[in-house]
Amino acid sequence: MRAETAGLERLVSLIARQVRRRRAEYYALRGAFFGALAGCVPLLLKEVLGTSAPFLALGLTCLGAVAGVLVGLSLRLPTVEAARLIDRAFGLQDRVATALEWSQRSDRSPLVDALVADALARVEGLDGRGVVPRRRPREAKLLPVPLLLGLVLTLAPPLPLPSGTLPDFSRPADEAEAPAERAGTLLSDERPKGGKREPLQRAELMERDLMARQGGASQNLAGDLAALFKDTSLGSYRPDFASFLKKGDERLRMLEQVDRLPDLQRDFTQSQYKMVFQKMKALAGGLRPDQISPEKLRELLAEMERMGRKGGNWGGEAWEGMEALEMGQTDRALEAMERALSKMRAMEERNRSGRTLRGGRDDQRQGGRGRDRGGVGPGEFDQDFGEGEGSLPGTGRGAHPKGDPSRRLQANPYDVGVEGEARSGRREGFDTNMLGRGANVPSRLQYLGVYSQYRKMMEEALAQEKVPRDYQAQVKEYFQALEER
Amino acid sequence: MEQQARVQEFLRAFHALKAEVQKVIVGHDEIITHVLGGLFAGGHALLEGVPGLGKTLLIKTLAEGLELSFSRIQFTPDLMPADIIGTNMIVEDVAGRKHFQFQKGPIFAHILLADEVNRATPKTQSALLEGMQEGAATVSGTAHPLPAPFFVLATQNPIEMEGTYPLPEAQLDRFLFKLRVKYPALEELNEIIDRTTRPRDAQVRRVMTGQAVLAYRELVREVPVAAHVRELASLIVMATHPRWEHAPEPARRFIRYGASPRGAQALILGAKVRALADGRYNVSAEDLRAMALPALRHRIILNFEGEAEGVDVDDLVGQALESAEGQSLRGREVFFR
Repeated sequence: MRAETAGLERLVSLIARQVRRRRAEYYALRGAFFGALAGCVPLLLKEVLGTSAPFLALGLTCLGAVAGVLVGLSLRLPTVEAARLIDRAFGLQDRVATALEWSQRSDRSPLVDALVADALARVEGLDGRGVVPRRRPREAKLLPVPLLLGLVLTLAPPLPLPSGTLPDFSRPADEAEAPAERAGTLLSDERPKGGKREPLQRAELMERDLMARQGGASQNLAGDLAALFKDTSLGSYRPDFASFLKKGDERLRMLEQVDRLPDLQRDFTQSQYKMVFQKMKALAGGLRPDQISPEKLRELLAEMERMGRKGGNWGGEAWEGMEALEMGQTDRALEAMERALSKMRAMEERNRSGRTLRGGRDDQRQGGRGRDRGGVGPGEFDQDFGEGEGSLPGTGRGAHPKGDPSRRLQANPYDVGVEGEARSGRREGFDTNMLGRGANVPSRLQYLGVYSQYRKMMEEALAQEKVPRDYQAQVKEYFQALEER
Repeated sequence: MEQQARVQEFLRAFHALKAEVQKVIVGHDEIITHVLGGLFAGGHALLEGVPGLGKTLLIKTLAEGLELSFSRIQFTPDLMPADIIGTNMIVEDVAGRKHFQFQKGPIFAHILLADEVNRATPKTQSALLEGMQEGAATVSGTAHPLPAPFFVLATQNPIEMEGTYPLPEAQLDRFLFKLRVKYPALEELNEIIDRTTRPRDAQVRRVMTGQAVLAYRELVREVPVAAHVRELASLIVMATHPRWEHAPEPARRFIRYGASPRGAQALILGAKVRALADGRYNVSAEDLRAMALPALRHRIILNFEGEAEGVDVDDLVGQALESAEGQSLRGREVFFR
């Protein structure tokens, strides 16, 4: 103990002793409760234990209390925690805890001496007793219950213990025929004395003879639901599980042929090639050439030939296939149809418009490559923009710095509508239909509040130059339009 | 004792300076205390409030009470960094030779009032960064030390955001405290009307020198902090971090970035000044509670949800404080440990 902080440490040890004492009381009450509860057991067995039962119960109660005291005393309390208790109890604003901690440090600042003196002056004359309040555990309130129970059990006569043995659930084979004799009168009285049970019918006896219902001449019985179908074509049908299984197998096989499954996300009617390809797959899927129906094949070839006449170059192949079919050469007809399909596909790819990531149309790029091969140099469309030009604002060729507006902007500006119920309020608004979890949770954000928040964020974004200068007017116009709505 | 005398002297000087400011400024007792706290903690303060609440007057009055040089910069969008720091000018000596001479800008003052700091561009705002953090201004590769003590007091207006440039987070973090100046109460408003609509007779005396300010800054740093109080400060700062495992639910939900370690430093330094101003030699948990808002409110960045819900950062700091105090006790009382 350091001389300068002796007064503080004395107070701290006093408080620590108080805490230990209170803890001992606390845990002693808990221990006594559980001990008394355990003490009821020997009292219940008083008939067996005799006169020693009350002493045993008392011993268990005392043992629980003593164990609680020991637990309470064995718990340690750090000095700094005791110091904090003093600070809190007397409103010393952490003076004692800080003084005790810093007085032991080697890097103490000059103010620590003043702090220790100040803390000593403040704790001097303080009465440390009663700083730690007494605490009662929940078990303390319930302690009278096991004590009273113990008292009652002590004064009451010994409780009779159940005697005898447990019933034998095992059933010898020779007693199976006479259960009443074995169970005695109790069972035989309670159970109705019914006759001998009928044995369960075997499964084959319950099978119905459906052949008897064939035709309209059979007798209809009351409650016979099959009579509903008597005069229909279903009336003569027998359930054919084999065919069901067969169809099931076919569906399973279909699932294995991924290319035969319809892709609902695509519109095949937009592509001649894909449409014909699907028909061909449907016709020839899994069959040998000699198994394919010549009529259907002819129809398909005729359709391809018609399409070829409208602007395709596969009409010859389709005609060749039809001729082969006339001569009974299905395999040649199929080969001709595949060639026609290849041409159809090639033409469709050529006609496919659209720009790739490099920009420009496919045919234009191909033309450029052709010129490259010819040694002429890069074509006009090989590079979308000239040197120093690009799609960024202000760098394109056009006079407009943002570039030309996209097609969508030129389209009907009211192509998107909001559906919902009209909201009450001073501004026009709709409660739109929502799906999922959000549908059950109404928005907590009011439109006007949200708008002003977003407007503020927009202004900040503009002020911080997060939006390019050329686009700022557009952003402002957008918010202006929102406000007007 | 010598140390007790030093503390008593600080206490006297602190309250004398505060009294001089209060000769002119009505109310705002807490704001004045925190501004003085920033001065003695060696940091800078940002005052936010609507126009007409006396922010600029408070700072000017404080400068009048100190024997220190003072300069004021009215920030405007066309203000350039050189207008703040200064620039090299070609001058001719007596021999007719020309050479560059550095002309100091208004930043070279002990107390700098950056009025409406958010009206200047970020480029100009950042000219203050080096001065605030390093105490020097670099021009053409030469670092010019700023006078000590150097104390920046900036003001900004939370409304009229058109044409303003909100301070970037890096610069906000340089301010030790952010103080919100509120409307005066009815009695204070009456007093303001009385004082300001008659001939001004209040004369502010200079009660403190620059050397004294520097000495008090040293004294502030000597104030001891107990381990559990320091731990509480760390817990408060950590409770503002949404990814900390013990962060309170609002912090997880509304905060994008929590307070930086500078926040913890500001918290402790502010608490030390408060302890000394209260005549104590140690920092208490109560000091941390009092300093949490000014030290942390500008270091918390809300996420989108927080912005959209209009969450007040002060509420989040309060919840972080509660959570940290719960953590400090580790959920169990001393009695059961």
